[in-house]
Amino acid sequence: MNVLEVKQLSKKFGDFIAVDNITMSVKEGEIFGFLGANGAGKSTAINMIASLLRVTKGEIEVLGKNIAKHSKFAKMNIGIVPQEMAIYEDMTAYENVRFFAGLYGLRGAELKERVIEALAFVGLGDKHKSYPKNFSGGMKRRLNIACAIAHRPKLLIMDEPTVGIDPQSRNYILGSVKKLNELGCTIIYTSHYMEEVEEICTRIAIIDHGKIIAEGTKGQLKAIITNQKNISIEVRSAENLNKSKLEAIAGVNRVEVEDRIVKVTSDSEINNLNRIIQQLMADDLEIRAVEENEPSLETVFLTLTGRSLRDQ
Amino acid sequence: MNVFRIMLKELKVIRDPKMLLFLLVSPLVTMLILGTALTGAFNGSLSVGEINVLYKNNSSASDFSRYWDDFTGQMRQAGIKLEKADEKTDGKTEVKNNRYVGYAEITDSGLEYYSSSQSLIESGIAKSVLTAFADRYRLAAVVAGTDSEQADAIMSGNGSESYVVEESLNATRKPGAMDYFAVAITTMIILYSALTAAQLIDGERKRNTAVRLLASPVTKIEIFTGKLAGLVVLNAILTIIVVLISKYVFNAYWGENLGLAFLILFTEIIFAVSLGLGLSYIIKGNASGTVVMIIIQLAAFLGGSYFPVEEATGFMGALSSLSPLQWSNAALLELIYADNMSATINAMLLNIGFAVVLLGIALTMMRRREGL
Ligand SMILES: Nc1ncnc2c1ncn2[C@@H]1O[C@H](COP(=O)(O)OP(=O)(O)OP(=O)(O)O)[C@@H](O)[C@H]1O
Ligand SMILES: [Mg+2]
Repeated sequence: MNVLEVKQLSKKFGDFIAVDNITMSVKEGEIFGFLGANGAGKSTAINMIASLLRVTKGEIEVLGKNIAKHSKFAKMNIGIVPQEMAIYEDMTAYENVRFFAGLYGLRGAELKERVIEALAFVGLGDKHKSYPKNFSGGMKRRLNIACAIAHRPKLLIMDEPTVGIDPQSRNYILGSVKKLNELGCTIIYTSHYMEEVEEICTRIAIIDHGKIIAEGTKGQLKAIITNQKNISIEVRSAENLNKSKLEAIAGVNRVEVEDRIVKVTSDSEINNLNRIIQQLMADDLEIRAVEENEPSLETVFLTLTGRSLRDQ
Repeated sequence: MNVFRIMLKELKVIRDPKMLLFLLVSPLVTMLILGTALTGAFNGSLSVGEINVLYKNNSSASDFSRYWDDFTGQMRQAGIKLEKADEKTDGKTEVKNNRYVGYAEITDSGLEYYSSSQSLIESGIAKSVLTAFADRYRLAAVVAGTDSEQADAIMSGNGSESYVVEESLNATRKPGAMDYFAVAITTMIILYSALTAAQLIDGERKRNTAVRLLASPVTKIEIFTGKLAGLVVLNAILTIIVVLISKYVFNAYWGENLGLAFLILFTEIIFAVSLGLGLSYIIKGNASGTVVMIIIQLAAFLGGSYFPVEEATGFMGALSSLSPLQWSNAALLELIYADNMSATINAMLLNIGFAVVLLGIALTMMRRREGL
């Protein structure tokens, strides 16, 4: 069954079209990734699904029911982790989760149990009585998640839940998301971080300027750009690299340098490996290893949108 | 049930000892400072002015004049001057022009009293004295029909039975500085809750928790009601504590009918909270807080929070009657010192009436809005 069905959904802010006629569906058990640069319209789309914004045009169905007609049903079955932290600093971690879970009709012993469960789930089991104002960024993010899962939603919507936190907290959160998913929760996951999406999502939609420009599994998305190849060349030191000369070689689309790895994206049709290596040798770079790999999601994104995900 | 949960959440501020201390200490300290610093200025006479009553005696009853003269004599000693009007004087106009606090016309059918709308307390006192006299005279007149000696006994009274209850006339029961400011500061701090109310919804927006509230299966009306109820209950509790401390620790006089006084204060809380909330919807953003602050300051200044405005006439009087604090202050003083209910009902109706209008506006605007 489709947990979520979105049909020709649009959102206008005045004359500005933030979400432009998107259609998509999320099946039960999926971790659906929403990938897009800043201002692409991810949050706007998500907020309409969570009934936080009015729909300008189109339809949304949650578990087969139209959310406009069955607002309460939809809300009961959705949990949202907002992009911005949404917790009360002057209430303890326990009180925060209990308050929000209580709004979903949980009472008494059951409520208590679910609150404890949710806090333990995000690794805050020993912080019941602590106030979030004393929490690190990562702990706040985790509490932000606990507040969204205590009522055990069928569909959990996470809007950039790992933004600006330490790697340890991030790994913890990613682990939690996978675990939640194994427990039967369907998840929509928004992120700027390609690796995250690539690691946990079963299906991905790339959204740009309010439109979904590509959608599918990792494999399917990568297949879109089979005309591209990625060549990684490890050198002893990339200091003397003449990037522009490398870019001038026929077929080469992009050159990126990461530490001692020179990454070249090139048309797969053109055989230019020899010329690339010759150029590197001319720059007096000591080549250690050469590897040709299939394009990454990053490449897919860049090729489709013409812009990089992160640096804006 | 959801309303109740949201309300309880609002009440959690009480747990913060610093906050609670601030909420309680600031009004009490202000009361103490104004109440003691201005004792001299009050001296029991500032609020209750001279009580001059004009009267015309058109009664034809023979023994009435005797009782009346006795009565006016006694009243003069108590500080109430009853002055006889000549034939040509129009008593009502005199009162309207504020030369007298009241005008009494005595006919065979009874005693009619016209009260000044400006010197409410003074007029109220005069009225209660006259009512007491009329009651006694009627009693005496009936008794006199059978036994005139006994009637004399009843009319002259014997010390303990004066015409009015002691407290309305004796100097001790005119509001002293502390008595006055206990009332004025209590009504003022209640008005300050408009400031909290103006932040009520905006606070949820700023903390982004509005998102969670809206995503949960709770209606906007429930959120709105719960938060409002929380603030009203919080302020009711604080008000009760402040009033009781002023009464038992500062010995401020709150009258015989504390329940009714609380009722007036309660309607003022509802008014204040609605004012803040209403304005936060009418004026968007942070500006609403500033506007609410200006309104509170003006209302406090004009409504008698720092000095009594009972006596104010002319332009100042007109201005002060615009202050929402003036209604409540006047009603409380009337209730406490003159046992006058009409001002009480008046103030309660005004408070509730304005609250209904302001809340109506807020609710309509909230429904139209995308968020809270
Ligand atoms: N309330 C609003 N009024 C006007 N414009 C808005 C509003 N909310 C969002 N927008 C605009 O809509 C576009 C999409 O915003 P949205 O927040 O959905 O992007 P996003 O993909 O979530 O970006 P980010 O990665 O920065 O969170 C942006 O250009 C934004 O400026
Ligand atoms: Mg966003």
